[in-house]
Amino acid sequence: MKHRKVAGMTALVPPEVIYASGWSARDVNNGIPCSDCRPRSKLCAWTAGWREEIFAGNLRLDALVVVAGGDCHNALADGQNAARKVDRAHFLFYPFDGDVDYMRGQLDRLTKFLTKGSSPPKGQKKLMSQIEELKGMGRDVERARSEGRIDPALAFRTLISFSDFEGDVARFRDKVINVLDKRESGGRQEDDMKGLDRKPRVALIGVPPIYRDFHAVCAEAGLHAVFDELPHEFVRLGGSDIEELAKSYSTYTFARPVDYRLEALKKDLDRHDIDGIIHYTQFTCHHLLEDGMLREKLKWPMLTLQGDLPGETPAQIRMRLEAFAEMLGGNRPKKKVNG
Amino acid sequence: MKRERVAVGIDGGSTAAKAVRFDGRNILASKIVDAQDFQSLRSMVKPGDIVCSTGYFRRKIKHDHTITEISAARLGVGWHFDDTDVIIDLGGQDTKVIDLRHHALHMNDKCSAGTGAFLEQAARYFGTDPKGLAALASKAKRKADINSTCSVFALSEMISKMERGHTKSEVAAGLHHAFARRIAELVPAAERYVAVGGVALNPMMIKELGELLGRRIRVPEQAQIINALGAALHAISQ
Repeated sequence: MKHRKVAGMTALVPPEVIYASGWSARDVNNGIPCSDCRPRSKLCAWTAGWREEIFAGNLRLDALVVVAGGDCHNALADGQNAARKVDRAHFLFYPFDGDVDYMRGQLDRLTKFLTKGSSPPKGQKKLMSQIEELKGMGRDVERARSEGRIDPALAFRTLISFSDFEGDVARFRDKVINVLDKRESGGRQEDDMKGLDRKPRVALIGVPPIYRDFHAVCAEAGLHAVFDELPHEFVRLGGSDIEELAKSYSTYTFARPVDYRLEALKKDLDRHDIDGIIHYTQFTCHHLLEDGMLREKLKWPMLTLQGDLPGETPAQIRMRLEAFAEMLGGNRPKKKVNG
Repeated sequence: MKRERVAVGIDGGSTAAKAVRFDGRNILASKIVDAQDFQSLRSMVKPGDIVCSTGYFRRKIKHDHTITEISAARLGVGWHFDDTDVIIDLGGQDTKVIDLRHHALHMNDKCSAGTGAFLEQAARYFGTDPKGLAALASKAKRKADINSTCSVFALSEMISKMERGHTKSEVAAGLHHAFARRIAELVPAAERYVAVGGVALNPMMIKELGELLGRRIRVPEQAQIINALGAALHAISQ
């Protein structure tokens, strides 16, 4: 792939638009769990982490797209801060009411920002189709993971990368094919899955855990994590042209009222035949304020966790996961589900 | 003559380690040591005993079985009371609220507000221990209003309350109330509550919590060793 300029994104920005505009995407969140950042001033370590990385010039971004609304409200403040350190910055707003025309206008503005008003590069339509196909493969990964055919930790690592395709669509596509073929596991796949498909099935909702080993720790605790809410949005949303993208991304559940998100979640969680829910939030995260509403409307046993700084999953969180696994009971009958 | 099964339950907790030797009917012996001395509790194990560990350090203790504190609390409380709706396990680093009716678990968030560490820190300021702090609080005719549930800010708040003329007793009573209020936020409405863990031995805490929840809170005998007893019960049942 020829050298493309890199657009950082602080939360979900339709990567289709970024790549079709001749740029490469970089979700500035994706490196945080493996970093050792200890931000000096923070509310949430996710946003403060990338703010510090951008300030230090470690991410080599040519532009930054700051998302207003979406899955994180702290991102707007930290994003404005970080925007002062990049050459060019743009703010993307999702429609709270799901207005497709508004979304379309936002995507047009984003395209204009990236192309500086000139025509997008050739091959845009073909690239969009390739990405659409790739997202279909992402949904295959989700399905295989729910059916117990892919290790949840590997599935999560793969699905979370659908926000930016790790900077290179073609290379990422090869990686996803390897995951679907179970080739990337280096022979550990069977060991990783040993007995896990008979453990209580849990869904992770809220923001993604900031701990790099969280899904493996879940498995050690005896929980089969079969669904991740935010990465699910990454592979659910898409389209092969700007109209389809506007229609699809205007349904981004995290950007819509919580009742809308809850209705979508109920359907997803029913489909994945879960036994319980882990609601992961960050310390000082606005999602914690939604916890009561989620507990009221989602009638599954729920464990709420609050993380803080990145790294390995701390003992207190491990203990909560083990306790939750015990609460949900031991093994469950083996059952095939349609993810 | 065939020897009855005897089990030792060891609870390697975060601030204290507890052990119970149990024959299925009676507690034969029990012991409480500092958390870091948890390995010394192995001396209670006699040849032929089955060992079940629980608590933070449960994997560090040589065991035949191991269970989490949640299961241990359910079993231990069940030995004393068979009609419990909600168990409130008031530990040194964690407060766990186990709703037995709905198989639900609520815990304090990552900070120490709402855990025994909060009272220990406050007690240290007054040059006493949590028992001494409770005794001090029991003498108060009114409570200082402590708004902060953060253990760090609560300390500075209690200093300012004393500067404004409140007595030590009133501040201590206010701290117990603030602590109980933080825990009450975690507890669902129910009829029958049981409190266990080291903090459950603090009568001021149980009184404040009972008032806030509008129900009497039962505390089993030797509330601090309930999880160790639960671990022993688990071992016996295996």
